[in-house]
Amino acid sequence: MTEKVTHSICVGGPIAIHTVDGVIRRIRPIVFDDKDPKGWVINARGKKYTPLRKSSPAFIALTEKNRVYSYDRIRYPMIREDFEETPDGQNRNTDNRGKSGYRRATWDEALNLVARETKRIQGAYGKEAVTAITSSHHSWGLLGYKLSCFGRFFRMLGYTAIMDNPDSWEGFTWGAPHTYGYYWRLGGPESFDMLEDALQNVETMTMWSHDPDTTRGGYAGNESTMWRHWLDDMGVQFIYIDPFNNFSSVKQADKWFGPRPGTDAALCEGIAYVWLTEGTYDKEYLAKHAHRFDEWADYILGKGVDRKPKTPSWCESETGIPAADIKALARRWAGTKTMGGSGLRGGFGGVCRTANGTEFARIMIQLFAMQGMGKPGQNMWSASTGAPMDYNFWFGGYSDPLSQISNQPIADHTAVNCVNQKLYRPNLPDAILEGHYEWYGDGFCGGGVDIEFTEHIYPEPGCSKVHMFWRYGGTFMGTMLDTNKWVRMYRSPELEFVVNQDIHFHGEARFADVILPACTNLERYDIGEYCNSGNGGYQSHSQTGCSWQIIVFQNKAIEPLWESQSDYWIFSQVAERLGWGDEFTEGRTELDWCKRFWEKSDLCDKISWEDFTKKGYYIAGVPENWERHYGFRWFAEGYPCDTPNHKPFQEEGKLGTFTGKFEFVSESLLYYAPDDEARTPVATYKHSWEGHHSIKARKYPFHLISPHPRFDYHTQHNSSTPWLWEIRENRKYINGNPYLVARIHPKKAKEKGIKDGDLVLLFNERGSVVCVARVTYRVEENTIHAYGSSPIYNPVLPGETSMDIGGCVNLLVPGKLMGSMVPGMAPNSTMMDICKYEGPIPDSQLFEHKLDMVAKEADPDAETCMDIILGHGFESIQEKAKKAYLQKQKEAK
Amino acid sequence: MRRGIAIDSRMCMSCHCCFTACKDEHCGYDTALSKRQPMMGQFWINIQEWERGDSSRLIKTATVPTPCSHCQTPACMAAATVKDAVYKRPDGIVIIDPEKAKGQRQIVDACPIGAIYWNEEYDIPQKCTMCAELLDDPNYMSYLPARLKVPRCVEACPNHALIFGDLDDPESEICKVIAANRVTQLEPLEGRETNVIHLNIPTVFLAGTVYYPRETEEVCIGAKVKLTCRETGETHETVTNYFGDWEIEWLPKRKTFGIEISMDGYKPALYTAFTDVDHYVDMTYLEKA
Repeated sequence: MTEKVTHSICVGGPIAIHTVDGVIRRIRPIVFDDKDPKGWVINARGKKYTPLRKSSPAFIALTEKNRVYSYDRIRYPMIREDFEETPDGQNRNTDNRGKSGYRRATWDEALNLVARETKRIQGAYGKEAVTAITSSHHSWGLLGYKLSCFGRFFRMLGYTAIMDNPDSWEGFTWGAPHTYGYYWRLGGPESFDMLEDALQNVETMTMWSHDPDTTRGGYAGNESTMWRHWLDDMGVQFIYIDPFNNFSSVKQADKWFGPRPGTDAALCEGIAYVWLTEGTYDKEYLAKHAHRFDEWADYILGKGVDRKPKTPSWCESETGIPAADIKALARRWAGTKTMGGSGLRGGFGGVCRTANGTEFARIMIQLFAMQGMGKPGQNMWSASTGAPMDYNFWFGGYSDPLSQISNQPIADHTAVNCVNQKLYRPNLPDAILEGHYEWYGDGFCGGGVDIEFTEHIYPEPGCSKVHMFWRYGGTFMGTMLDTNKWVRMYRSPELEFVVNQDIHFHGEARFADVILPACTNLERYDIGEYCNSGNGGYQSHSQTGCSWQIIVFQNKAIEPLWESQSDYWIFSQVAERLGWGDEFTEGRTELDWCKRFWEKSDLCDKISWEDFTKKGYYIAGVPENWERHYGFRWFAEGYPCDTPNHKPFQEEGKLGTFTGKFEFVSESLLYYAPDDEARTPVATYKHSWEGHHSIKARKYPFHLISPHPRFDYHTQHNSSTPWLWEIRENRKYINGNPYLVARIHPKKAKEKGIKDGDLVLLFNERGSVVCVARVTYRVEENTIHAYGSSPIYNPVLPGETSMDIGGCVNLLVPGKLMGSMVPGMAPNSTMMDICKYEGPIPDSQLFEHKLDMVAKEADPDAETCMDIILGHGFESIQEKAKKAYLQKQKEAK
Repeated sequence: MRRGIAIDSRMCMSCHCCFTACKDEHCGYDTALSKRQPMMGQFWINIQEWERGDSSRLIKTATVPTPCSHCQTPACMAAATVKDAVYKRPDGIVIIDPEKAKGQRQIVDACPIGAIYWNEEYDIPQKCTMCAELLDDPNYMSYLPARLKVPRCVEACPNHALIFGDLDDPESEICKVIAANRVTQLEPLEGRETNVIHLNIPTVFLAGTVYYPRETEEVCIGAKVKLTCRETGETHETVTNYFGDWEIEWLPKRKTFGIEISMDGYKPALYTAFTDVDHYVDMTYLEKA
């Protein structure tokens, strides 16, 4: 019996992988040995705090084995059975996409077809006629990441890039910079060394739209859960504000407020009213650091144009929270050292993905300004970032251009896209279906406030529309907007050729003409750092959400299963057929590329390549007396900014706004967008264009909130692991399909005759989804809560815009962007209705037969999807792999 | 040496790492001590998670990871009709022998906490092994110091909610954690000595909020709240906090409490509550005296 231990990182965190006789046997956290560095020690209030000596990945990371051996793995290249390679790209039965089955193809056949079509379409229409997009993450690792591998290939090819909208940050990206700058952090605050600050000083935490034990610091696993226990045990008061009494709140909140969705900006205004009338705010701080504060204060006090004071009573009428409670909240906040923020890292949260998310973001920041943001114990910090870190050690993150194979210095030659035309992800279907689309902004606008206002039009003058769509990794059916539009888009003959490259046969894969099976990152080489999104990139130093800085050699645990291949291999094969294979690979193997990342970072100064690949990970320790750079402290105390990744003007004590101060009347909006209806120069609470004040609410009276999921991440895990379907708060496996939990208040449930565990239909004019009801007091009365990001999309009529039993509640959310000049998505401004579902339910997930057919044709003994889900298929696959491995070992001897 | 696990419901955040690690270890694999767990349907560590409270004003959850308790005098062992079908090892871990226990469905029913599952396919009862097969295996995790070898659930927990160690060593971390916390035996195991020690499982709370007269729109801070148990006479006192909230935890179950809320200058407010379940008593609006 040969056992080896390798390591990897997935979106849930770093893991140790035990492979026995060629088969992945178990996935564990990385437990440190005695040679690994000591953890940091924070001294606070008479005690010493130090982290647990292991990585704390999320539970989803522990299901990586299941992702590898999943029932819905794409095993072979496949071609749509009724696809016809017509010479002019017409009459290809595109109407059947989503309905049709697939036939197995060889790699040669599939790759040659992809190369031929690429050449034909670019030859006939121009390079810009090819477009492609990835999901946020389908696998972790610098080599395989989209900006790296995918980026290199498509920039070298020349294609219409599709810009991502800043989905997790919308209100903050498009709003916050106009109040306090930080556009280079997508509107989020800097949280350097905030954990120490908090442990030493904080008294109250306002956790707005925040569920840290669910969103887990982004990619930081469960690293920060102990920090919140420490704060809790010190007596720090936790106040949670969320229409759902979420999983962190229900365990740790000292007080939960459940405002009606879309009214959080009103709550901010009510709080401000109390402070202004009671004089409980930092006047001295504002005198130095605020611009045109009085004009906003007048508005709050009822001296503005609307003559309406934002009293607690008024606030109660909007939010549903009693006026007395609002006053108490305001007084607690003002009367104690308070930190807090929206969502993980302070500038996130489902609340900012609403119609007026920008206004909430701006006013919330204004509240922190009013209380002297940056003073000890007073800051925007939401208890899931800011651990001590050695900033002198550099290893790139995936958004650092210096850590991508598409750029020098990792590559010898930077890949540059020769096509200027762009598309915009949230409304890609509109562009394809209408043949015309306009929008503002570059999506991720870290380069400057002005970039929010760049004008785009599709097609660009002189450019062709796109006719080929290459979709890589993950599925948007559960994460994008009004996603029945994606069904309509795929069936459009405008898309003459559709390629899908993925690991699993997820929702979008089933619409492709050609499917290329990629392998998981446990089946290929890569390298990466825990939770490192980039040190100069859009979320600088996100790895301070972890107690440890861990760089992992993502060693190959097993060879790719069936005929899957690494993404890198797939791209290099197509590049070869297009005539630039050598330029793409620069003669490097995947392992060679991994070594480049080691070489071009500080890692090579700390550990040899041999030691690093042998041990499998490196922990960058924090020096005993590490350099502190408290976030925002420089601004409050007036010394030159010393935090990592800051702008030069910060050294002069300025924020990234026109005036360098907190702008309570935004000069940048007055300059760039004075007539913007959604984001006004003075931030104000406005009624949502889809909310309880809308005409629509008469017919669809419930708010739907679909926050970032607890039981999944980036659509990677829920579909692969049946154990997750047995978690009562997640899903319920009925008749072959795992139904998603949707939460409803007992009062409304009673009115509708809905009992806990009943099947229910969530619906509005855009679509319908069957879920399983959880009747609970934990939701605001008028709100239905169902987690977004479902990787499982199971329309009862595949290929049609039909009812879904997979749980893609994003079918119900509006495609409308936040404002005519604010290109952010607002899924949490959805109105819908709910009823008991008593119709028929299928006895499967309705796609398995397509995979089974191909599998059985290739191998009569192949395990079916159902075999694998129920267990014996999984066991059999592993048994066979073990046999084959042992046979190979024998032969080698 | 008695191997045990301390499980702290206060620290547990139902992150499900223990649940997943256990499934990862046992689903689909025969071990030296157990037959493979089926892919679905068994929960060798079952996370009991229930909501507490009858109003949106205050809801908490109790989260209790519940593996086999590895009792000192196991009911399952007593129910076995074949010798050594269930046996307790010298280290205290209770194991069901997958051969000898064949066909003995009554072993499943005997467990007071439902920690044993019936495997229809193999005709055997199955349950948590405290990962004894891993603890016994000198080759498992041999690259790490021996003290780091713990059951999979304990290893995966990021909340310090599961502690493994020697219950007979007072200097061990597990004994220190037990000594520092409230021991709360699972109700069906009341009176039994077990190697799995549950800590901080909540009982019942009564809570409410006090306001000054409605038209003032003000919470009442510092109102006195006194609970008196009709059956036992015990009293509990507290004062309302900065949100006007009062809350008393750890009340005995199924008892009647008289509640008196008093504030100088105002009429006392009186309630009665029965601790069958957790109750949010009322949003109390005081009336001037």
